[in-house]
Amino acid sequence: MTVAVTRTKAEQALSQNFEAVAAKLPGGEDVTQARKTAIGAFAALGLPHRRIEEWKYTDLRSALKEAFPAAVADDTGVTAAQIDAALEDLAGLDAHRMVFVNGVHRPQLSSVSGVKGLKVSPLGAALAETTDGLVRAAVPGQDAVIALNTAFMTDGALLQVADRTELAKPLLLVFARAGEAARLVTTRNIIRMGRGARATIIEAYVTLSGAVAGQTNALSEVVVGDRAHLMHTKVSLEGGAATHLASWIATLGADAGYRAFHLTAATGLARNHVAVAFKGEGAKLDISGAVLGRGGEHVDTTLFVDHAVPGCESRELFKSVLAERARGVFQGKVIVRPDAQKSDGKQMAQALMLSEEAEFDSKPELEIYADDVVCGHGSTAAEIDADLLFYLRARGIPLHDARAMLIESFIGEAIDKVEAEAVRGALSGIAKRRLVDLSA
Amino acid sequence: MAAVQQTVDQVRRIDVDQYKYGFETNIESVKAPKGLDERIVAFISEKKGEPAWMLEWRLEAFRRWKTMTEPTWANVRYPKIDFQDLYYYAAPKSTEGPKSLDEVDPELLRTYERLGIPLREREILAGVKGARVAVDAVFDSVSVVTTFKDELAKAGVIFCSISEAVRNHPELVKKYLGSVVPQSDNFYASLNSAVFSDGSFVYVPEGVRCPMELSTYFRINEKQTGQFERTLIIADKGAYVSYLEGCTAPMRDEHQLHAAVVELIALDNAEIKYSTVQNWYPGDKDGKGGIYNFVTKRGDCRGRNSKISWTQVETGSAITWKYPSCILRGDGSRGEFYSIAVSNGHQQVDSGTKMVHLGSNTSSRIISKGIAAGYSQNTYRGLVSAHRKAKNTRNFTNCDSLLIGDKCGAHTVPYIEAKNASSHFEHEATTSKISDDKLFYCMQRGLTEEEAVALIVNGFVRDVLQQLPMEFMAETQKLIGISLEGSVG
Repeated sequence: MTVAVTRTKAEQALSQNFEAVAAKLPGGEDVTQARKTAIGAFAALGLPHRRIEEWKYTDLRSALKEAFPAAVADDTGVTAAQIDAALEDLAGLDAHRMVFVNGVHRPQLSSVSGVKGLKVSPLGAALAETTDGLVRAAVPGQDAVIALNTAFMTDGALLQVADRTELAKPLLLVFARAGEAARLVTTRNIIRMGRGARATIIEAYVTLSGAVAGQTNALSEVVVGDRAHLMHTKVSLEGGAATHLASWIATLGADAGYRAFHLTAATGLARNHVAVAFKGEGAKLDISGAVLGRGGEHVDTTLFVDHAVPGCESRELFKSVLAERARGVFQGKVIVRPDAQKSDGKQMAQALMLSEEAEFDSKPELEIYADDVVCGHGSTAAEIDADLLFYLRARGIPLHDARAMLIESFIGEAIDKVEAEAVRGALSGIAKRRLVDLSA
Repeated sequence: MAAVQQTVDQVRRIDVDQYKYGFETNIESVKAPKGLDERIVAFISEKKGEPAWMLEWRLEAFRRWKTMTEPTWANVRYPKIDFQDLYYYAAPKSTEGPKSLDEVDPELLRTYERLGIPLREREILAGVKGARVAVDAVFDSVSVVTTFKDELAKAGVIFCSISEAVRNHPELVKKYLGSVVPQSDNFYASLNSAVFSDGSFVYVPEGVRCPMELSTYFRINEKQTGQFERTLIIADKGAYVSYLEGCTAPMRDEHQLHAAVVELIALDNAEIKYSTVQNWYPGDKDGKGGIYNFVTKRGDCRGRNSKISWTQVETGSAITWKYPSCILRGDGSRGEFYSIAVSNGHQQVDSGTKMVHLGSNTSSRIISKGIAAGYSQNTYRGLVSAHRKAKNTRNFTNCDSLLIGDKCGAHTVPYIEAKNASSHFEHEATTSKISDDKLFYCMQRGLTEEEAVALIVNGFVRDVLQQLPMEFMAETQKLIGISLEGSVG
């Protein structure tokens, strides 16, 4: 297309903001070059809009009215207590912690050094030292959000779990937002699981009490080696005014296991994009999530599962509870490549509509080029079943409690997918606190 | 896998080259010159003796069409069509309006005979089941014979070609034509609106239950002629009509374009049942030739408690791009879509439906069975949506795909948009090959592998077959038999 497209105010601002901070962004010569290429790609692409199939239900061009200035080298004063308060139930979790405030690593709030079998460093520092392979996933392709991430990324976690090592405690990556200025925070995590390694990693995106929510662009690049197992969880609680754009790009080795889970609540506009490609046979994938939406919140979950090799299994379960004017979007594409025989894929997206003004748009998609496969998907949208309510009320349970019980059991099915008990407990706690309001 | 190998062998053995209905009838025909501009549109309009308002309507569509670009979102691949390299009008010369079948060109009748449409035996056919079928046979672009017209007229049912309707019932045509599929709806619908040649028109008056099934056979015969039927069916308050459409086309080397538009309108408490069997030439074993079937079919449940039901059996065409849809406007209206799409050889099918719930208490049901074999690609694409004000709507969708052979593809692309809480939407889809367990179970009971596969496939499509009118079922079973025999045993 050679048609000159008028750029929106936000699009222009993003390009200008990049020029303003380019010199302060971490990284050597080749990283700088990669950033320039990426912002160039963004300038050509613009923000994704509804005419692009993958963004049909989330028109970022019209939703993103303005682009906030990018946060770099932030030093807002933050205490551990403030972080704990924002983490809610996750604060009590016995975990190694790595904290980032406004996109910059805070060593004094973190406790990740000296963990056996775990090589860890902040990405910002790593980019400045060696860039070998670190911006590999930065190839922007047609994805403007990933291009923006490459251009603006300031920091994140660079993790390498050694072969045949099991991390005893979960690793909690905290991305906190502090201060009174609305800003764009861009982070990237690179997680590499060695052969046979096992770990539980949690990403938590929170806005500290009293801080102003802004825009987040967070990317995690995950490589799960042969026979390795990763439980990867993300909790987004950035506030009703926040925009949260997340991309997870994962590849799975032979017989690897990857369990991804998203809990998205209290986020104004969230787009969770998860792309997983099977690289070795016999791998198992489980992507699940719970969405609690209210007000005018908009939560988009877009999955892309690529059965590129035979004999792999994928499972997806997403549950959305939508109240008030909330809008849930689920797009799940499963592709089974030619010769990827014995692929087994199942997908389910369900929405519980608590208000006549809520909206749920679902597009579960199967693209299958091999014959010896078992693939299926399902999608439902409905309000609380009147028969179930009647059953409970007939047993003397008040309406409000009955509704709460049904909503909790609905969402609980998804949360049960989290293997680590302590993590599951914390997530249930966070979800329950919000369900109390929703079931009113 | 013995079964798979056997299947593959069989596909090879009775490959699509042996397309049963591939022959050509040589009848002199009148053609418009190649290409498309306002003069051709005017030529078509003049040939059909249309009034000025109709010509203006066509030209308006043509002007819109010129500003549009071809849709590319469907999961089909084909070389770009040169719309200026097609004939937009072809009519058999002997169209003086025969009074009875005896006056019809015998060559034409023989063609139908080979297609297995026993026009001459229609009374006998009718006598057997106690039901009668009125056939409006379309040979290329002009409706040649309309049968049972008198009897239908007695009931007040208007069943004629659309050109006749334009002349004799302009008030109805003006009121309803383009009211479901507007001139600017999409690229192919606009093209059709500009150059539509012929098709059927049905009007069933208030409270009338159409005394017989209505049926039309479409044929594409002249080389390189696109065929652009336009069908308009109106069921007035409390009326009922069942319409059958069946298609076969002769063998061809070059691709042929077929861009039909079908509009259905059901007023209060009316019901329309529209069934299609489509068996156009799918191209040879290398994917050469075959029909491009780009069709816009849409029904409007305009009245309260109205019902529109689409049933389709798609076995032919090189490329199918077809989404029979229902707009559920009237409160309490119901839409149904039952589909069997069989693809073999190099066929590409991108088909499905749209159920747009606008009225309250509306319900819809979608049952789609896709069977992909050979090198074919079979896509289900569907939309179910409920408007904010469409309270208590219900949808159930079930799309199953069966894969036969490892070179074909089956895809499912549903869009589900619920904009209120009281709507209950359920969607489920599965894709698999015939399970070894099922085969084993059947074979253990003494069936051969071939019989077992046939039995399982029959069971797979049964839900949809049952929706077809009795008269059509036998023909359809035969047709699926021909298509499936080769692919699954």
